[in-house]
This record gives sequence, C-alpha cells and structure tokens, in this order.
Amino acid sequence: MRFLEFGKRNLKETWRDPASLAFLLGFPLIFMLLFGLAFGGNIPEYKLGVVDQDRSQISQAFVSEALDKAFEVKPYDNAGKALDDLEVGNIKAYIIIPQGFGEKVFRDWQGQSENISLDIKYDESDIVVAEQVLSIIDAITRAFARIEVPITLNASPLNLKAEITYIDFAAPGIIVFGLLILIPTAARMMVRDKELGFLARMLTTPIRPAEFISGYSLCLFAVAVVQIVIFMLVARLFGMDIVGNAGWAFLIFVLTGLSCIGIGMIIASLTKTENQAEPLSWLISMPLAMLSGAWFSIDLMPSWLRSFAHAFPFSHAIEASRDILIRGTSLGTITTDFLFLGIWTAIIFAAGTILFRRSMAS
Amino acid sequence: MTEESLAIQTFALTRKFNDLTAVDSVDLAIKRGELFSLLGPNGAGKTTTINMLCCLLRPTSGTASVMGYDIIKEPFRVKERIGVSPQETVLSERLNSWENLSLIGKISGVGSVELRRRSEELLEIVGLLPRAKDQVAKFSGGMKRRLNLIMALVPDPDVLFLDEPSLGLDPQSRRAIWEYIERLKGKKTILLTTHYMDEADFLSDRIGIIDGGKIVALGTSDELKRGISDRGAMIILADNLSPQIIEGLRIKGRYTQVDEVSGHLRVSGKDIDFREIVDYLHSKGIVVRSAALEQPTLEDVFLHITGKALRE
Repeated sequence: MRFLEFGKRNLKETWRDPASLAFLLGFPLIFMLLFGLAFGGNIPEYKLGVVDQDRSQISQAFVSEALDKAFEVKPYDNAGKALDDLEVGNIKAYIIIPQGFGEKVFRDWQGQSENISLDIKYDESDIVVAEQVLSIIDAITRAFARIEVPITLNASPLNLKAEITYIDFAAPGIIVFGLLILIPTAARMMVRDKELGFLARMLTTPIRPAEFISGYSLCLFAVAVVQIVIFMLVARLFGMDIVGNAGWAFLIFVLTGLSCIGIGMIIASLTKTENQAEPLSWLISMPLAMLSGAWFSIDLMPSWLRSFAHAFPFSHAIEASRDILIRGTSLGTITTDFLFLGIWTAIIFAAGTILFRRSMAS
Repeated sequence: MTEESLAIQTFALTRKFNDLTAVDSVDLAIKRGELFSLLGPNGAGKTTTINMLCCLLRPTSGTASVMGYDIIKEPFRVKERIGVSPQETVLSERLNSWENLSLIGKISGVGSVELRRRSEELLEIVGLLPRAKDQVAKFSGGMKRRLNLIMALVPDPDVLFLDEPSLGLDPQSRRAIWEYIERLKGKKTILLTTHYMDEADFLSDRIGIIDGGKIVALGTSDELKRGISDRGAMIILADNLSPQIIEGLRIKGRYTQVDEVSGHLRVSGKDIDFREIVDYLHSKGIVVRSAALEQPTLEDVFLHITGKALRE
C-alpha cells in the first residue's frame, strides 16, 4: 500500500518536528485549558429581572428551576419597573415571559413544534456581559423548552438533565474553532512539500496522485482525531456535561475536521509557496470562525448574514453538537444539521482532492 | 540504431512557457548503457528537458520515449523504470537515511529484504552508513547531496536522470560523486545535466551542448574538440621578446591574436603552424625556452559554437 508508506512518512515528519507537534497538540490543550479556567467555574451570578406575565405552572417552574440556577432572579410585576432598574444598573437584563408561554412549551413537549419567544432587554454597555447573559438565557431556555419526553408538571418539571454552565454552552463552539485551525495546518503541510520540490520528486515515482493525497489525509485525519480527543477531554475536565451520545458528538467533530482538511487542500492547490498559503488560510478560516457562531451567537446577526453563515457547515456543527452534548438530543432531531454537515464535508473534501490533484499535473 | 537499443529518444520535444521556448524541438537518441551529458549554461533548457522525460512536465509539442514507453501516453510505465536525482536537494528532513531510501523503495515496489540490502550497499558506497540513523536535518550539505543521489538508485532503475549532481559541492564530495557515477557507467543509462565542463568531460560517453533550448553540438568529448582543433593556441616562453617581434607575428595574418600574458606569449588563430612560429623566433635571435600547443577545452568548444562563455 503505497499511500500507507507515504502516510507514515507524513506522520513521522509531523511527530518528529517539535515545533509542529507542540503546535498541533499544545494548541488545543492550552487553548482549551485557558478557556476552561476562564469559564469552567460557576458563572458569575448576574442579576436578571423577570416579568412573568404568563404566571402558569410552567413559567414559574422555568423561573425557579431554570433561570434561578444561573442568575440572581429579581421578579417584577411590570416591565416599567424592570426598565427603571436596568437603566440605573441594578440588573443586567430583564426577561418578559409572555402570556401563553406555558401553553407553547407544553405543546412542544407533546411533540408539536412551537416557536417560543421571550422578550429580553439588556444593558448593552458591557458587551461581554450582555453577550454572556444572552447566551445563557438562550441555552437555558432551549434546554428547558425542548425536553423531549412529555412529563407531568407536578412531577419534577425541571427535567433538565444537567445544570447548564457557560462551558456547556460554549465548548462546542470552541472545539469547532480549534478544528478550523486545521485549515492552515493542512495547507501548510501540503504546500511545503510542493515548495521544496518533494512533491515533484514523489511524482517521478510510480505513486498515483490519489495515493499521494490519501497519504496526506491519513496523517491529517490522525491529527484531527487526536485534537478532538484532547478538546473533549479537557472540556469534560472543566465540567462540560455530556448528556447525549458522546460518539455522535465526536463524529460531528470528525466531519468538521475533514471539511477543514478539504479546505486546506483547496488552498494548497491554489498556492505555490507557504508564504502564499499561510495568509490565505487565515483569511479563510477566521471569517469562517466568526460566522460559525463560535464567538458570537449567530442569532444576533442580521438575517442576510445569518443565512450566509448557515450556508457553511460550521454553525451546523456547533448547533448539532451542542444539542447532543447539553440537551441529550437524539440523532433524529438533528438529522438536517447532520446531513448538511455530512454532505458539505463530502463535497469539500472531494473538491479539495480534485483541485490538488489537478495542481500536480503541469 | 534499432529502437530496442535506445533508452531515450525524443521527437521534436518542445516546451514553451508563455513566450519563452525553453526547449526547442530537441531530437536526441541515447543508447542503453550510455552516459549522456547535457552541457549548457543556466537557463539553457537542461532541467526542462529532464522534467519532461520523467513525466513531471508535459511537452508543448513533440514527445519522447523512455525504455520504449511514451512519456505522454504511458507515464506510469516510464516512472517504473527511471530514477531521478533532482537539482534541488529534496529529502524528508525528519526521517533518517534508511527511512528516506525506504520511502522511495517501497513506493517503487522493492521488497523489504532486497530494499535493506540495496540501501546498505548504497549508503556504504557514499559513506553515509555510519550516520544512517541520524535525522537528515542534521546532515551537512554534501551528505544531503549524496543521499539525494542514491535515492534515485534504490528502485534499481534502467534509466537514471541526474540533474546537476554535483551542484554546490566542495571538490572532495564532488570527486566522490563522480567516482560513484563512473562505477555505474555501462550498467545504467544515465542522462546527466551539468554546467561544469570538467564534469561533462570526465564522465560522459557523449555530450550534447544545449543553448537556448536547442542542441547545438553533439558528440564525444574528443569529437567536439576535434571539431575546433583548427582553432588552437600556442604558448611560448622566451627571453628578450620585443614589441617589434610580436608585431611581426601578427602580420603573418593567420594569427588573429598575439598577446603577452605574464611573461608568456600566447598565439591563437586558425591553423597554427608550430614550426613556422618557432623558426620565425629563432631567425630573430630569440631563445625559445618552451613552446606548446594548447589543447582545446570544452569551454573553447562552447565559446566557439555559441559565441559566449559558459560561466561556472
């Protein structure tokens, strides 16, 4: 198997290069450790005003069992008073639970899909806090409302399978961001061989282009898998809950990694030197990270940008893995995201292979 | 010559890069077991020719065959029969010598036992065996160059392409590589490119002088030199040479250049008549201490054919 021989060579080259190894393994480790240290502990209890206009059992349960776990909840009778307090900074945000909220959530639990809306007003003077508060509310609400098993309210309505912390919410995004760094990694590995003439030397041997490409993919795939394991283990160490099937989440990350390798191959085929490939890689991977929702919630983007963001697989990867990890969603519910990711990966990987292969012939 | 006795044959092989014609309708026939050198200055088209022959570059027009296989129609057949040592030193820096050789060997389908035996032999010959387990990154330039060369030999190819094998080497390493190449003569067909005259002179069975993408002269070293033997030079060491005597030689007409260089008189031109010159000097009462005809070098051949000097 010629591709195995070539794959072995790539693995050895990577393994024995201290700088590249430190980057490939150290980067996810340090990145995730820092992230875990920063956000893994209990989130600061922000003061959240709550105006419960619904006053149903469900809405009360939502406040006392869900919101209260993450915030210091301050109840208000009407929105006016909450606004006054928000303006003077007594609370960071307030949430209005509209009439009919309980009904809708209940119907959701019965299996009918309902859009649940909550009005949130927040203090935007502290952008980071605002973003955090919104993210937490978002995560909590989704987790609360999307409980799949219909349950009676008098039993424990809060069947949140775990307590949501910020790391639960953010870890999938951080992992996908980390995997996006595979784009420059893959591009660099391939274009370096091209630049140094190693590709040319290999092409004078009977190795076929497809074997050559699989040799790279083998090595990059191994790198991706190791990185994902590190990411998930460290996140777990810092309290990321894995409610659903970890295997499915792992698979989602593997597909994400493969897409990134494919994009890296495309970049390697469009460029001739590392100096060209490097900036192009960052130019592509960073906007993709922004649009993936790893840093900012996509829901806060204007709708046209949101649609654009959803055209790439990374936001789907984050949402699908988040669903599995913190909500224990079964695969059936995220089929669309999953399929989208799978098909995208297949297309991008195929395109990368074809383009890189074409760039070999001259 | 029959087709079977030829290792490499090119048919109006041409490669253009935009407006530049790097290789211009080259027709070559290299016999099996022959060591053929392409000699020419940088940019003459040597590497482009080799790259086409080892199927890295498609010809713009024309074609070639290597061991009877067409380079355009059957590139993988060709690749199974050739070994290439590229001009740039191309190695896997984090692998050791064994692993580098093994990569090429296994890809070319050499069995493990045979691979081990062959690698050891090659490493021994170029003196790398003691350090064969070191990462190549720690090697000196000369050591890398030697490994670069033997990598082409692991598959035991029929045809060997050596692109500037001694480029940038110190005289010692250069000599070692020459000696090794000499040992291969007759066993493999070798196409070597160089811009070192002495290298081509020392190693080749035949030499093709290439300039501006065209083969401008072709033959053995002796044949090429004989071709310009009517344009020789004579070096004379004599006492009491006066400008008048030197001027007297010039007016003989045939001797286009008569110069005094560091005490020696150098006479060059067409049909140098040794006797005539010595007699002339005697007749003027000059004592000739030594006189010798200068053998033309490949440099002279190149200068004569292309009208420009080949710079090393």
